[in-house]
Amino acid sequence: MKKILAIAAIASLISAPLSAGASDFTPKKDIEWVVTSSPGGGSDIYTRFISDAMTKANLANGKTFLVTNKTDGGGEVGRLNVSRTAAGTRADHTLLTFNSGDLMPMVKNTSNRLANFTPLAIMAEDKQLLFIGESAKYKTFDEVIKAVKSGAKVVIAGSKGDDVATYEKLIKELKFTEDQLAFIVNDSTSAAITSILGGHVDLVMSKPAAADQYVVAGKLTPVLALSSTRFTGNLRDAPRLSEVGSYQDVEFPVWRGVVGPKTMSPEAAAFWAKSLKTVAESEAWQKDYIGKFKLIPSFLDQQAAKAFMTKFEQDYLKSIGK
Amino acid sequence: MENINMLLQGFSVLLTWQNVFVTFLGAILGLIVGAMPGIGSLAGVALLLPLTYSFNPTTAVIMLGSLYYANMFGGAFSAILLNIPGDSPAVMTALDGYPMATVKKRPGQALLVSNFSSFIGGFIGMIILTFTGPALANIGLKFGPSEMTALLLVAMTSIGWLVGENPSKGLLLTLFGILLACMGMDTLTGSPRYDFGNEYLLGGIPFTPFVIGMVGFSQVMILMDERLVKAKEVTEKLTIRGSLLTKHDLKRLLPPALRSGVLGTFMGVLPGAGATAASFMGYAVQKSFKSEEPLGSGAVEGIASCEAANNGAAAGSFAPLLALGIPGSGTGAVLLGGLMLWGLNPGPLLFTNEPDFAWGLIASLFLANVVALMCAWGVIPLLIKILSVPTRLIIPCITVICIVGSYSTSNSMYGVLVMLISGVLGYVMHKFRYPAAPVLLAFVLAPMLESNMRKSFIISRGSLDIFFDSPLSLAFMTIFIVILLFPAARAVFGSFTRTKMETAK
Repeated sequence: MKKILAIAAIASLISAPLSAGASDFTPKKDIEWVVTSSPGGGSDIYTRFISDAMTKANLANGKTFLVTNKTDGGGEVGRLNVSRTAAGTRADHTLLTFNSGDLMPMVKNTSNRLANFTPLAIMAEDKQLLFIGESAKYKTFDEVIKAVKSGAKVVIAGSKGDDVATYEKLIKELKFTEDQLAFIVNDSTSAAITSILGGHVDLVMSKPAAADQYVVAGKLTPVLALSSTRFTGNLRDAPRLSEVGSYQDVEFPVWRGVVGPKTMSPEAAAFWAKSLKTVAESEAWQKDYIGKFKLIPSFLDQQAAKAFMTKFEQDYLKSIGK
Repeated sequence: MENINMLLQGFSVLLTWQNVFVTFLGAILGLIVGAMPGIGSLAGVALLLPLTYSFNPTTAVIMLGSLYYANMFGGAFSAILLNIPGDSPAVMTALDGYPMATVKKRPGQALLVSNFSSFIGGFIGMIILTFTGPALANIGLKFGPSEMTALLLVAMTSIGWLVGENPSKGLLLTLFGILLACMGMDTLTGSPRYDFGNEYLLGGIPFTPFVIGMVGFSQVMILMDERLVKAKEVTEKLTIRGSLLTKHDLKRLLPPALRSGVLGTFMGVLPGAGATAASFMGYAVQKSFKSEEPLGSGAVEGIASCEAANNGAAAGSFAPLLALGIPGSGTGAVLLGGLMLWGLNPGPLLFTNEPDFAWGLIASLFLANVVALMCAWGVIPLLIKILSVPTRLIIPCITVICIVGSYSTSNSMYGVLVMLISGVLGYVMHKFRYPAAPVLLAFVLAPMLESNMRKSFIISRGSLDIFFDSPLSLAFMTIFIVILLFPAARAVFGSFTRTKMETAK
């Protein structure tokens, strides 16, 4: 009897570290999922959609996702806290919604870097277009370019982060100054659309989803696709920059991802990456999220996401001279 | 006529047992959330939003809509009884509400005045919304950066002259509020300002904990102070009958409430202005009309003008939201996120594509208005008893609410820290007789003024002409210049008449 017990004890000792190996990680407690923007916003909807999908498909061992919105310091405090999570159970049960619009201000204004996180996946991509309003002075982007060249001042309204980076890429390609083709940063795309509906600016930059209803209602018309391929549906008429003149297409990848803290164990990272992949491949995700928000379904797995985000960070740091 | 039919159809959507139930639930929650210092409509709607993800969209928005709406009623309660505005639009209510409740010993009437004015203001807003919804939204669109700049200049310059008896203190505090509001990320370039290398300060000073500290926690310290000096006198018994409004009160209440209801509705439609700016403007306008008692001393007109305005604004802000898919306030933005989540496409086609939803929501506002009035009325007898609760019990209660409220804004102790520091600041200011309202108003308005002014200059390439081009901004700029020149003109003219009189002698 004693022998059996001893063997059992030894066996359990050996198997304990084994069972924690490879894909054998399972959530043992509730998962804290940090979102660094306010409830009701795009990132919040994205996070709650994924966590709901995971709960429904029982991908988290019956544990609950606690989505917490940490908005202190423009989100930097939340990101910093996640990056500093000490290794252990807590690190394995902490996720962070991480988008291109989060990475840019983070590396620009703080010393926090992607290296302090474990990239898990990129779930979707988005691109922008330029639109004109109903009573627009310039009807095509070609007219805009000609007007700017003849000394007129043209103003684009857009949102923060991604839109600013796209705009900077655009004027660089067009060889215009910020004074010739100006850009007004709004808190949100809807604020930017407000200003073009009132006729206060010439162009508005928006992603397809935010502009969709206005295009359907005839209030906005797409005039330039900031992409290397044309859009589909009611946006298909918008030409790319290379179709407007002898320019290169301008495209700035806007992406939505998920990361964990740097200290997350490889087993936990593999587990979450796999769960995220399952969500991304589900029909509900394709239809109710990607389809509804008119995103590009470009899922990148753990390795690819890491490579992509790293490259993105390097390029961005270079572009701002850091 | 068509709109009335649509509204009636909206009522038929609304009058199912579950929608009526959630209207009541929303209204009651809204009153509670509104009355709690710091937890305003934004936090209330944001906290409840995740709960509604699985509701059907009409039911969900009816609940959140009535919560948002009833919140405007509740905010006045603690402002009047404790001098602690439950949410930021109630900052102005406290100016007259608290003196009326304490100095004039008419707490019941003060609460009733605020209730009735809220009801009237909201009702006016809803009528305007029903008949002119999309047209109203289009008026809002006319306010571009230059028009908003001109309007905000008028508002900012009138703060000092409006609040408190000493204009130079008012000016100083306005500038202090502007300075504080400058901290954090520059909205136009995304570069940090006055962050002192601290990542928390990158996001600036969070508004809610700041307000809770300035007006709530500082009041706790003031109460403790008073308690040391003298024991609280037992106030005479407050009965329901004793707190009913007199005919005379109603007569004083009506004109400002009607005016502010209309004004507030328009303020609510303007992009990003919101209920706080509306109640402020309502009060400012009242200052130029005749009041029986001076504003700030517990005048019925003062309470009525700001309460009607903020409820009008709450109703008005639904116009751009429903007609164009544009949020008129922070709370509107959260509701907009909700619409998307519930599977609707907010935008210019919402009225056409989802009439049941849009009109059901408008109908629910009418119901919420009545429900909130009834509920608020029902709790007044209980509420005025708060005044007779001993200070030693009130102090810990308010302190707990202050801490919870400031913690919940960003789920961190940073909010609590901000609340404590601004509480001490508010206390010191009170001791030296500096009013807190100018700081708070400047803090709310300054970021709006800054971003609109800089946007105008981007559009005009730095030329000032833009502020005089459109008739709207020209009109506001004229008012602004008149306000600026008025004291100077009065000084010159005043001394002129004096000398004339002296020579006549």
